[in-house]
Amino acid sequence: MLIKLTGGTVYDPASGIDGKVQTLYVQDGRFIKQPANDVKIDKEYDLKAKVLMAGAIDMHTHIGGGKGNIARMLIPEDHRKDPVHRSDITRSGCGHAMPSTFTTGYRYAEMGYTAGFEPAILPINARQAHMEMADIPILDKGGYVMLGSDDYLLRMLTAKKDQKAINDYVAWTMNAAKAIGVKVVNPGGINAFKFNQRKLDLDENNAHYGISPREILISLATAVKELGVKHPLHVHGCNLGVPGNVNTTLDTMQGIGGLPLHLTHIQFHSYGNEGDFKFSSGGAAIAEAINKTPNITADVGQILFGQTITASGDNMRQHANHGFASPDKWVSMDIECDAGCGVVPFKYRDQNFVNALQWAIGLEIFLLVDDPWRVFLTTDHPNGAPFTTYPHLIRLLMDKSFRNDMLATIHPEAQKMTTLGSIDREYSLQEIAILTRAGAAKLVGLEDRGSLAEGAWADITVYTENADREKMFEKPDYVFKDGELVVVDGKVVHTKWGTTHIVRPDWDSSVEKDLQKYFDRFMTMKVGNFKISDDEITEDGRGSLTTHSLNGVT
Amino acid sequence: MSALTFSAKHETAQRVDMSPLVCQLLKDMSLADIAAIELQNGKRKIRVDELFDISGEDSQDIIINNSYAKLDFIGKELASGRMTVQGEAGAYFGMGMKSGELLAGGSVGLYAACEMKNGLLTIKGDAGDFLGAALPGNKQGMKGGTVLVKGNVGQRAGDHMRRGVMLIEGNAGDYCGSRMIAGTIAVMGSTGRFLGYAMQRGTILLWKQPQLSATFNDCGSHTLAFLPILFKSFTSLDSKFAKESATFNRVRRFGGDMAEKGRAEVLVKLQNEEKNAAFSAASFS
Repeated sequence: MLIKLTGGTVYDPASGIDGKVQTLYVQDGRFIKQPANDVKIDKEYDLKAKVLMAGAIDMHTHIGGGKGNIARMLIPEDHRKDPVHRSDITRSGCGHAMPSTFTTGYRYAEMGYTAGFEPAILPINARQAHMEMADIPILDKGGYVMLGSDDYLLRMLTAKKDQKAINDYVAWTMNAAKAIGVKVVNPGGINAFKFNQRKLDLDENNAHYGISPREILISLATAVKELGVKHPLHVHGCNLGVPGNVNTTLDTMQGIGGLPLHLTHIQFHSYGNEGDFKFSSGGAAIAEAINKTPNITADVGQILFGQTITASGDNMRQHANHGFASPDKWVSMDIECDAGCGVVPFKYRDQNFVNALQWAIGLEIFLLVDDPWRVFLTTDHPNGAPFTTYPHLIRLLMDKSFRNDMLATIHPEAQKMTTLGSIDREYSLQEIAILTRAGAAKLVGLEDRGSLAEGAWADITVYTENADREKMFEKPDYVFKDGELVVVDGKVVHTKWGTTHIVRPDWDSSVEKDLQKYFDRFMTMKVGNFKISDDEITEDGRGSLTTHSLNGVT
Repeated sequence: MSALTFSAKHETAQRVDMSPLVCQLLKDMSLADIAAIELQNGKRKIRVDELFDISGEDSQDIIINNSYAKLDFIGKELASGRMTVQGEAGAYFGMGMKSGELLAGGSVGLYAACEMKNGLLTIKGDAGDFLGAALPGNKQGMKGGTVLVKGNVGQRAGDHMRRGVMLIEGNAGDYCGSRMIAGTIAVMGSTGRFLGYAMQRGTILLWKQPQLSATFNDCGSHTLAFLPILFKSFTSLDSKFAKESATFNRVRRFGGDMAEKGRAEVLVKLQNEEKNAAFSAASFS
C-alpha cells in the first residue's frame, strides 16, 4: 500500500527539518522517496496546514512489571472512577493512574505516542514484564534491565572481579531479560535496606558487602559503555526525594569520570534544604551542571497535581515516604534478593508547599537546560503524574503566560522559592519534537524510529495547529503506526501490535558456569528458565523483536 | 402528584445497573427522556421503557415494582427524596447514599448501604454480606446515616464502618463489625463467629451473648445512662428497636479488639435482670 501525505508542515529534528512544508510517501510501513509519476497512490491524506511529527516516544514510563500489578491492586478506587468500556475494536479496562495494559496502549496512541520504554525490568521478573507489555496494543516497547542491588553483582564487586567479568554478567543479563538498556535504582540501596540501613549516600558502604553506590555506578556505567550499548546507564540516583539531595546528584554527575550517564526523574533529585521549611529548589544548579557536562542526559519526572500512585524499585525511599501515602495504604517488598519494590499512592496538592515547589523545580529544569537533545519529557509515569497529563505539561513548556497563571495559583511560599516566574523561555514545536521524538529515539538507541526521513518506520502524528498547545497535543488528527492508520481525531480506529526493541551485546559463555552454580544454590528458578527465549515473545504471532546495533559493533 | 413508578415487565437474564434511576438525576426530566435512558444490562444496554412500565410523575418519590434480585445499584448516591422497592433488590443497594429515604420491601444482595453517608435505609427482608461495608480495597465503609434491617444479615456487616447506626432485628453472620473504625451496630438476634474482628473503636450492642474471641476483655456489668438516650433516638422508626419493651440500660461490657487499638466495646444486654435494676455488687462477679 502506497500512502501519500500531502502538504503538511514537517517537524523532523532527526533530519534537521524545522517546520518545512513537505509531502511524504509511505510504503510497506516505511517512508520512501517520491515515487515515479505513473505509480498509483493507494491513499492520499491532505495535510495542508497540519503539523507533522514522528510518533512520540516515552523513554521512561512504568508500563510493565510486577509493581504495576501491585499498584493496580492497591488502588481499586482509582479504577472505579475511570471505567473503560469495550468497543468493536478496543477492549475494556480501566484507566487513570495505573491503567490496564490495553487502556495504556490506546491512551498513549490517542496522544500520538507510538513507543514506550519500561525503565525497571527486574531480571527475575522480566518474563512477566514482557508478557504484560505484550498486552499493550499499538505501542512499540522495550525495557531497561535493573541491576545494582542484585546479590550476584554485589558479590562480584566484593570479590573484586575484573571489569571484563562484570561486562559479561551485564551482557548476559541483558540478553536473558531481553533489554535495550541497563537501569540502576538507588545503587546498592535497595539491598542495604535489607541490612537495616535506612539511607545510603553516594560514598557510604553497604553494611554487608562493603560496597558504595559510587563503585556500583562506575562499574555498571563502564560495562554499558564497553559493551557498546547506546543507551547510557539509566540512573535513579541515591537519596530520592530527600531535601538537600542536589549535592548528591551533582556529585554523581561529576564523579562518573566522563562516562555517559542518564539521570532519570532528576526533579526528584534536585532539592536543596534552605529556607524556612528546609526545602528549596536545586533546579538551577542541576540545569547548569547538565549544561556543562556533555556526557549527562536527564529526563525530568515532572509532577503534576492530582491523584496518582508511585511505584518504584527503591523500597528504601518508598518506605521512608510511606507516611505520605494517600489513600493510606502502601506496599514495600523484597523481590528474590534481586531488588525490591515499593508502591505508595500519592496525591500531589498545589496548596502543599513541598508538592508545589516540586512542580516548579521540574519546570525550572526543563526551561534551564539549554540543549533539548539532552533533556526528556517524562512524568516518570505514574510516579509524578499519569502519562495522560503530557499535553498539559507540553502547554506549560510552550506557553509562558499559561505557566505563570498556574504558578500564581500554587502555595504562596513555594512561589517565593522558585525563579520560574522570571524564566522567559518557551519551547518551540521543533524543541518539543526533539524532547519527545528525535532525542528520545537517539537516547534509547533506536535506529529507524523518531524520524520522518526516508527509510525510517512510518510512525507519524498529525496535529492541527492550535494556540492552546494542550488541546493540540491531546487530540491528534491522525496517528500512523508502521504506516497503518491507528488513530483519527484522538480516537483509536484500528489496533495492531508493536515490536519489542532490544540489543544483544556479546558475552563470554564461560560466565554461565558460575551463574549456573549460583542459581542452583540460591535462586527460585533454574538458569535455563531464567533466560527468555526469542520464541516466547514472537511465537504468539503478534509480538516481534527488533534488535538494534551497538556502538563500535556492526 | 403521584409517585414516579417503574414496574418491571419481566426479569432479565443479566444484571442491570439501576444507578441512573435516582431522584436527583431524574429531577426535571420528562417521562419521555426517562424512558429513553439506557441502562447497562450485562454487556448490553437496555432502554428503561424496554424493561419497565412507567407511570406517575413525582421524581422525588420513586417506586420500583416487581423488583428482582438482579437490579443492582438501586438508589446509588441518593441525595434527596424517597425511593421504595417492592420486591427484592440486587447488590449495592443504596451504595454511597447521601440523604433521603430508601426502602426495600424484600431482601437485598451484597454490599447494601456500602459507603453510605447519610439518610435512612430500611430493608424489610434480609441483607447479604458486607452490609454498610467498604468496597473491596477501600479504607472506610459506612460514614453516617441509619440502616435498619428487619431480617437477617450476612457476613461482614459493618466491615470498615466509620460512623452511623446499623440496626439489625434478626441475626448477623460471621465477622459482624469486623475492622470497624467507629459507629454503632445493634443486633437483636444471634451473631456469628469472630464478632468485632480487628475492631478499632465503636460499639456493638447485643441482645444475646455472643461467642467472643480471646482478644476481647470482660469489663464487667454496667448501668449505662446513654442507652436510654440511644433508644429514644430510635422511637420514630417503624421497628422493634422503637418499642419500649426493647430498651434496657444494664449491660455487660467487653473491650477489644486487643489485637487492634482495643478501644471498641461489645455491650451485651444482661439477661434475667429487672430493667433499671439497682447497682449491685453481683455485677462484678
